[in-house]
Amino acid sequence: MCGLGGRFGHVSGDAFATPTGTTWSRVSPRLATMRRWLLVVALLPLAGLVVGLAFASGIAAVVVAAAGVVVLAWAWTAVGRNLRSWGYLERDDDLLVTHGAAFKKLTVVPYGRMQLVDVKAGPIERGFGLVRVKLHTAAATTDAEVCGLTPDVAEALRDRLTALGEAHAAGL
Amino acid sequence: MPPGSDSPAGDRPAGDRLAADRPEPGQPEEVFRLHPLTPIALGGKILGVLVLVTLLGLVDGTGSGKTAVIWRTAIFGGVAVLLVLRGVIVVFVTSYHLLGGELRIDSGLLQKQSKRVRLNRVQSVDVLEPLSARIFGLAEVKVTTAGSQRASIRLRFLAAPVAHQLRADLLARSSGTTDQAPEAPERPLLRVPHQQLVRAQLLQLVSWRLLLLAIGPVLAVVGNNNGHNGTAIVGVSLFISLGLALLLTLWRQINTFWDFTVGDTVDGLRIRHGLLSTSRQTVPPGRIQAVLIHQPLSWRPFGWAQVRMNVAGYGRSDSSGHQTVLIPVADKDYAEAFVGWLLGGVDLAHVPLTRPPRRAALRVPGWWRYELAGANDRLFVARHGMLSRTIDVVPHERTQSLRLTAGPWQRALGLATVRLDSTRGPVKTRAAHRDATEAREMLDRQIDRARAARQARQVG
Repeated sequence: MCGLGGRFGHVSGDAFATPTGTTWSRVSPRLATMRRWLLVVALLPLAGLVVGLAFASGIAAVVVAAAGVVVLAWAWTAVGRNLRSWGYLERDDDLLVTHGAAFKKLTVVPYGRMQLVDVKAGPIERGFGLVRVKLHTAAATTDAEVCGLTPDVAEALRDRLTALGEAHAAGL
Repeated sequence: MPPGSDSPAGDRPAGDRLAADRPEPGQPEEVFRLHPLTPIALGGKILGVLVLVTLLGLVDGTGSGKTAVIWRTAIFGGVAVLLVLRGVIVVFVTSYHLLGGELRIDSGLLQKQSKRVRLNRVQSVDVLEPLSARIFGLAEVKVTTAGSQRASIRLRFLAAPVAHQLRADLLARSSGTTDQAPEAPERPLLRVPHQQLVRAQLLQLVSWRLLLLAIGPVLAVVGNNNGHNGTAIVGVSLFISLGLALLLTLWRQINTFWDFTVGDTVDGLRIRHGLLSTSRQTVPPGRIQAVLIHQPLSWRPFGWAQVRMNVAGYGRSDSSGHQTVLIPVADKDYAEAFVGWLLGGVDLAHVPLTRPPRRAALRVPGWWRYELAGANDRLFVARHGMLSRTIDVVPHERTQSLRLTAGPWQRALGLATVRLDSTRGPVKTRAAHRDATEAREMLDRQIDRARAARQARQVG
């Protein structure tokens, strides 16, 4: 799942680490840039409220502004934590995908089980030059998705995965 | 871009005809058309009601003036005729071609459609006889594939004998032979006694929903005592409507699962059931992805259990969940033995299971004791539930992807959950709240087992 779910907390936990001797391929930092822009846009109405309040009651404006700053600061760092939590690793027989800082998730998709590899991007993602790669298996609950990839990385990954899928195809 | 030719989606768009897919010339092509009575059977209940209303209107319309009668008759009769006409067009423009290992469906009046199904991708073939079709001696053949879209193809309707022959034919072709195949002989495995079925379904009504039933009388009594007639009436009508809904559910279950038999044939498992509307499913060997044995709380004193399965393609079209039932009710020991036999002769009781660590009690007090999971060299088994009990079983070669998850509360306790993904269906397997390190080991072992099982299957 490519949403903002599971972005609170810190990145650690041995059970979700890569096998020894390997490291995660990380996603583009532009993912965090995009989310921070979205965050600022989402907080704009609050800024408007503060300006409006400033005419009526100075204290209320300060309180709301302070709350807004706290939320912004916390969400700002949460986006960073979430960015650092994303990772994928191409192994010989399967792909590992991890993400989530508080709600951690590690998905293992054997190449032989892949039916389809999708590369897609929403309008906002496209504006920031990002795409996501989604892996489909026969299971509806497989939610292996790597988001925040640059198009060239994503296409290379897709091509490699498709080739590996063909080599390992195991049917149902 | 499906990786490999082994995507189980057998149907392709009409334009995409690869030369390699063409069956060798010279083989006879079998063409099926829908039965001419199809429009009436398709209309089913709606048509019945419309005709009834029209006839009643004609008979007893003397009191309300002639024009009203004519209008009523014209409207209801007109809708009925339109319904039938639509059915006639469907029958007229649809044809089924069976050639080699492939089924082709041509349909569409203005926009022609041609759909092809590779029969070696078939997950199951069902013959359904809904009451409206059964009256006319018709049956539906439903072919389920594991494709990502439009997973099932429904041939509505054929004459019952034709449908049965086609089923046998499709199954034979799906396993490779293209000769005219007789129906495969069947070895009966089990038949659910009527008495047990009815009692089990009655017991299944005993649940929290019965509490809802109590709301009505309470409202009625309170309303009556306080002189609120409105409240009393609402209470009574609530009771009656909820009661009727419960009875209807009960009737549906009994009607569906009546005379439930399971047999073993070379074509696969054959499941037959139904009182007024009947259904015969055939699931070829190896198409069952995962199985669960479920015991509702109210069945446990009797030692009964239900068996359900995941079959690729079933979950999509089956909102009622009837299709995924393998045994509606049986003794639990029998159910376990049956599932063990079905999945390759394994004794489920001998699969070593482990339990979450004691500190998991902080996450799921009480229930942590009932989250057992483990595997042997063939199957992954999970038992869970304190009140109602469920056993999930997944063969290693059928696991799709695997997941390890941990929420903040779990991570604070150093716990994690391992999940095995299967095709859409009732079975959702997990080993919940394990020690995090243990969970990772379990995940890694499971990856290795699944890979070994897949390779063994490809070699063998």
